[in-house]
Amino acid sequence: MFNALRSDELLVGVGRMLRLAADLQAAPEGFERSQLLSAFSVTRLLASEQRGAAVLLAATRADLDAALAGDDRPAATAARAEIAAAVDGIAIGDAVQDLLEALPADDPTRTAVHHALRRMVDAEVATLARSPEEPGA
Amino acid sequence: MSIDDAKAGALLQTMIAAGDASQAARVTYLEQIEGGWSRHSYAARVDHGPGAGEKAYIVRARPRGSTLDTDLGAEFRTFELVADAPIPTPAVRGFEPSEDTPYDGPFFVMDRLDGHAVNVWRKRDRVALAEDWAGERGIAADLADHLAAIHRIDPAPAAGAIPVRDFQATVDHWQSVSHAARLVRDPVVEEAYTWVRSREPEPVAPCLVHGDYRIGNCLIDGGRVSGILDWELSFIGDPRFDLGYMALDYHAGKFTTPGSELLNATADRAWFHARYAEASGREVDPEVVRTFTALGALMLFAIMTTGLGVYARGETTDVRLAWGRFVLPGLRQDLAALMQW
Repeated sequence: MFNALRSDELLVGVGRMLRLAADLQAAPEGFERSQLLSAFSVTRLLASEQRGAAVLLAATRADLDAALAGDDRPAATAARAEIAAAVDGIAIGDAVQDLLEALPADDPTRTAVHHALRRMVDAEVATLARSPEEPGA
Repeated sequence: MSIDDAKAGALLQTMIAAGDASQAARVTYLEQIEGGWSRHSYAARVDHGPGAGEKAYIVRARPRGSTLDTDLGAEFRTFELVADAPIPTPAVRGFEPSEDTPYDGPFFVMDRLDGHAVNVWRKRDRVALAEDWAGERGIAADLADHLAAIHRIDPAPAAGAIPVRDFQATVDHWQSVSHAARLVRDPVVEEAYTWVRSREPEPVAPCLVHGDYRIGNCLIDGGRVSGILDWELSFIGDPRFDLGYMALDYHAGKFTTPGSELLNATADRAWFHARYAEASGREVDPEVVRTFTALGALMLFAIMTTGLGVYARGETTDVRLAWGRFVLPGLRQDLAALMQW
């Protein structure tokens, strides 16, 4: 969700490795082979991520919205609006980070947000674990 | 296989300057090998001439674009420091500090030890480690005993060569690395830093800390640990960092699916801690270990984030650094579990 490299940046890197493979004059050496296998792994993980991205984003938005429901403090209402309008995980990360910085350490809303983030990270890992070739994934 | 003449020449010059090769020596094999994130490794063989025979070496280089800008010279000096300790480490054979080398940065040469590296994210390697645990436990025992031996090394000679960091300084360091490198904000990571800071343990006498201690940084030969490598993150500080770091689920083979239930895929957690406590004379508090496990996850996060930044800025084409993006969700999950969210 809080992903630093965009999909297009990853694809450029994978493409570079495909070009490297095409230009090889002999069987790849150890380092070259590890590069190619990493590129292969990126394609699989990225495909799994893409297949689950919309569902994960919607679930996280809904979960955080529920966590913030009933908290009328300005920081919470602002975060709720930003999360509802978020188009990706980065925007959600920004909104949640702003909120947590504004809350006291032992605030119940902080605990509720923690629980929502826990469900988010569990769901994200589960999404990545699903094979991109799995029917209906 | 062709040998890169420039790399071979630099290797020989460094060994000759260190007194570990003669002008008659020649490189018979040189190939970059798999592995290494902030270091690149090359396997080499050098023929030392009649009577001296051929010997195997590893060239360890710090390329310009890497996950961490750690000091290769400090790592070289750490290898020198531990050479006489009762732990299996390779002898080092010369250090070239120049940035302008055929290895794209400074490098040093060390003996190649017998043994093979373990990859805990590979199922067959986890199975082999589980068999050791179910059987002779030579690897499990060595991993605990060698860690205790590292923590018994007098750290004083290393002061000035490697960082000295107490608990708060260690947290400060990795948070500053993380902030300097981050491309996006991450509330799980920020909350984890706050949580770790709130759990500062009672201090203990500072030790030499390996800093990246795990079975994946060891060599295995004949059911025993035959080498302890990758000292680039070593520092003088709290020895419990090593215990916590190696306890990460990630280091037991977890990626997007669970890995081994054994600590570092090698030993039962309570058994390992008891063995280490007996060998080191230090009590192991599981709650303190939990704090250091979270700190270890944050260190890994900072390292991976640095790699992503290097890749995003086009300073390297090493696609493994981009792949590291997919390590981060699992580390967030580990952090959330450690904080009991």
